[in-house]
Amino acid sequence: MDASGNDITAAVNRFGLGAKPGELARVRDPRAWLDAQVARGPDGGDVFTGLPSSLDYLREEAQLALTRRAIKQRDRRAFLFGRMQAASDGGSANTAVLKQALQPYRKQERTKLLAEAAARYRVATITDMPFVERLVHFWSNHFAVSVDKAPARLLAAPLEREAIRPHVTGRFADMLLAVETHPAMLLYLDNVRSVGPDSPLGRRIAMRLARKGDQDEGKAGGLNENLGREAMELHTVGVDGGYTQADVTEFSRALTGWSIPFPRDFANGGQPQSAFVFRANAHEPGPRRVMGRTFPAGGFEQGRAILEFLARQPATARHLSLQLAQHFVSDDPPPSLVERMARSYLRHDTDLAAVYHTLIASPEAWDAGARKFKTPQDFVISSLRAGQIDLGNRPQPVLALLSNLGEPMFDPRSPAGFTDNSANWIDADGLWKRVQAAEALSARVAQTNAQPLAFALDILGPLLDEDTAQAIRRAESARQAHATLFACPAFQWRV
Amino acid sequence: MITRRQFLANAAVGTATLLVWPKLTFAATGSDTRFLFVLLRGGLDGLESVPPYGDPGYQAIRGALALSPSAARPAHRLDNVFALHPSFDYAAQLYAQGQFMPVVAAAPPYWGRSHFQAQNCVENGTSKPDGAQTGWLNRCIACMPGVDGLACAAVMPLTMRGPAKVETWSPPLPTEVNPILLQRLQPLYAADARLAAPFARAIAQQTDSPVPESGTGMMAKGGSGQKKQGGLPVMMDAAGGFMGKSDGTRVAFVEDDGWDTHANEAAIVTRKIAELDAGLKAFRQSIGPMWQRTVLIVATEFGRTAHINGTGGTDHGTGGSMFLAGGALRGGHVTGRWPGIGSGELYQNRDVHATTDFRSVFKGVLATHLGVSALALESRVFPGSAGAAPMENLVDTMRAEPDRTRA
Repeated sequence: MDASGNDITAAVNRFGLGAKPGELARVRDPRAWLDAQVARGPDGGDVFTGLPSSLDYLREEAQLALTRRAIKQRDRRAFLFGRMQAASDGGSANTAVLKQALQPYRKQERTKLLAEAAARYRVATITDMPFVERLVHFWSNHFAVSVDKAPARLLAAPLEREAIRPHVTGRFADMLLAVETHPAMLLYLDNVRSVGPDSPLGRRIAMRLARKGDQDEGKAGGLNENLGREAMELHTVGVDGGYTQADVTEFSRALTGWSIPFPRDFANGGQPQSAFVFRANAHEPGPRRVMGRTFPAGGFEQGRAILEFLARQPATARHLSLQLAQHFVSDDPPPSLVERMARSYLRHDTDLAAVYHTLIASPEAWDAGARKFKTPQDFVISSLRAGQIDLGNRPQPVLALLSNLGEPMFDPRSPAGFTDNSANWIDADGLWKRVQAAEALSARVAQTNAQPLAFALDILGPLLDEDTAQAIRRAESARQAHATLFACPAFQWRV
Repeated sequence: MITRRQFLANAAVGTATLLVWPKLTFAATGSDTRFLFVLLRGGLDGLESVPPYGDPGYQAIRGALALSPSAARPAHRLDNVFALHPSFDYAAQLYAQGQFMPVVAAAPPYWGRSHFQAQNCVENGTSKPDGAQTGWLNRCIACMPGVDGLACAAVMPLTMRGPAKVETWSPPLPTEVNPILLQRLQPLYAADARLAAPFARAIAQQTDSPVPESGTGMMAKGGSGQKKQGGLPVMMDAAGGFMGKSDGTRVAFVEDDGWDTHANEAAIVTRKIAELDAGLKAFRQSIGPMWQRTVLIVATEFGRTAHINGTGGTDHGTGGSMFLAGGALRGGHVTGRWPGIGSGELYQNRDVHATTDFRSVFKGVLATHLGVSALALESRVFPGSAGAAPMENLVDTMRAEPDRTRA
């Protein structure tokens, strides 16, 4: 196939993460280059080795919770024996002591978050499989977990490593199951303590409440619909996917018992072996009816079967294909392309590699009008790649940039993730901040002897127009040349 | 195209001048007023923010989450039925001065329970999530010639997208920009059809209107030390700074999130309402004397279930609360018909029924406070909202318009 320069820049910029020096020159056949990445699967294994697993994080959180509890109990005993003054808040924990005891944990937590961020942006900066890496980020945003909700804070990055990455070129149904059983999602969408009213635990709680005449439902177990609803609305069939409130409730009942190891499970030498726990005693018994199909009782298998069923729905095929086409082609992609991708998805039993291949092989994906405005994260990552900026283990400046530009890491404040519509990212304040960010980023580019103009041509290829070349040629220093490149309009688009 | 400054200069000459601009009918009522819309994303719980402690069904249905003026941490009593959440300390003071008003059992016209669809409706001003691609507040500004809007957000929210000129603002980066770099970039951006206009505005913003002195400065020093960048107090402080000037921003938008309290609601709502309350106070202080000509509306996409769920929280519901505040408000009472929360009174046996369409409140304020014509409200700002009549007597037009009382 003829590899025009435009197709190569499209592969590297629009499908990939922006050119590294030399990358445009290395790509001969852009379609084959993309297909080969899909065939190889995700990158970055060695960068991520050594990072803790979700189970490790849960164990540490449990230790924190147990420490906190122990201190509070000690204080209560001290109080009961009259050794402590009654505090105004009821004589409970000495907050200064508590704070001091928990300080090392807080520090560790921050160190770990930074290690996760460093690894994520390091892989994005150096990878030779930027299409697959972009797909990892795409699915991570599709299954967004927002770290503004405290219990999910440490687990958002592991969700991407453990549930998205291994399945990014596999079956969607498998990725879906991995995500919905991941502690990050179970915590974020409040499923860990969702209890079936007719489950053994639910009945015990009801009886206890009845005996005490207690109205305090808040402490009791009960159904929580958050995961069930978002799994349908956002993760699978989409909001127009043809489900009702009753389907949401039924699905949520099927998901009762899908949980994580609690701190008490780690107490007294407890050694949970998995970050996912199915709590049979909290699971609502009986068959469930979801979107016209009945799923027999079957514990964990029931929920798994519903997820598999949802993954295979034509509505899911269309929903995911539209989102992919919007991400890779344009805000308003040709319906013919979306339809072809959806058919491929269904024909290949939710196999994502087949969908990607259909996308790559479709002429619409290479149309001259196809383009997207870089999101702040696209902008930052493509600058890191172009400038070969090595953050080492100090990702703080990049995290601060992402926050200021409006796309803080794993923090979309909503399970819908960050918007993928270009119009939402184009505005005066955002452009101004990109110019500021370009200045900041240019200060981190290692200075070489390379001519600024040759550098710009290496990164932008045929996108480097005469006026931009002129501006870069006139830059007063290598640093200003880099700043001009990062800030110029041609660099803001994935064309 | 006239600039805002020119328009104000002309308006000051008197009504005779206005007659030559027949479209500017709004000027007869809304000459130099201010309006702020605060959107709380996630679904604020009405039964928690405005507890109906006097409703016989409340204690039973809310159990551990029930609030009351006689509790250990007392809610602020408003009347025999309603109170304000204990964290609303400043709002309660405003209420006593007639400058704060809750609306109970309110909802947008969309009664599904999806965050994103409901937010779309709250923002696009229709009863359908895809009912419009632009925001109602932008279309409102478009009906006010010469007026610009401001969205205090890093990314333009749907509420403010559309034909009218609206800028975004968020706390700036510390980095200095080399002026020569800017000179080089200007012709490049001028040649990019899609980016030319926003880039030109960015340059103009930087040269014309630096961050107002009261914006961010005060909060940066702020006491608690945990003010996250872009939090409600910071953003409302900044909005007040922009709006407080005599030729300042007339219509602005601020948003916040984190209100989706599915679990452990009591603690979260206590913290979030304290943030909102601090935001009100920061706004009141930074807008200064212009407060007398200001109305602000706080709204969310839906209320929450009346019952508590199994995790000490509540799920997506229907009727919820809105709040109005401002020196031009006729507040000091609770508005909205209370549908009750006893058996048989709940919507689908789970949510507080909605008896007030959001748009009635918005229309009532926009009509009297901003002087948007009834025709414009029905046809452009809230198309298809004829069933939601503008709520009356929300605004004290005398207080809002000292000029008019003289005329």
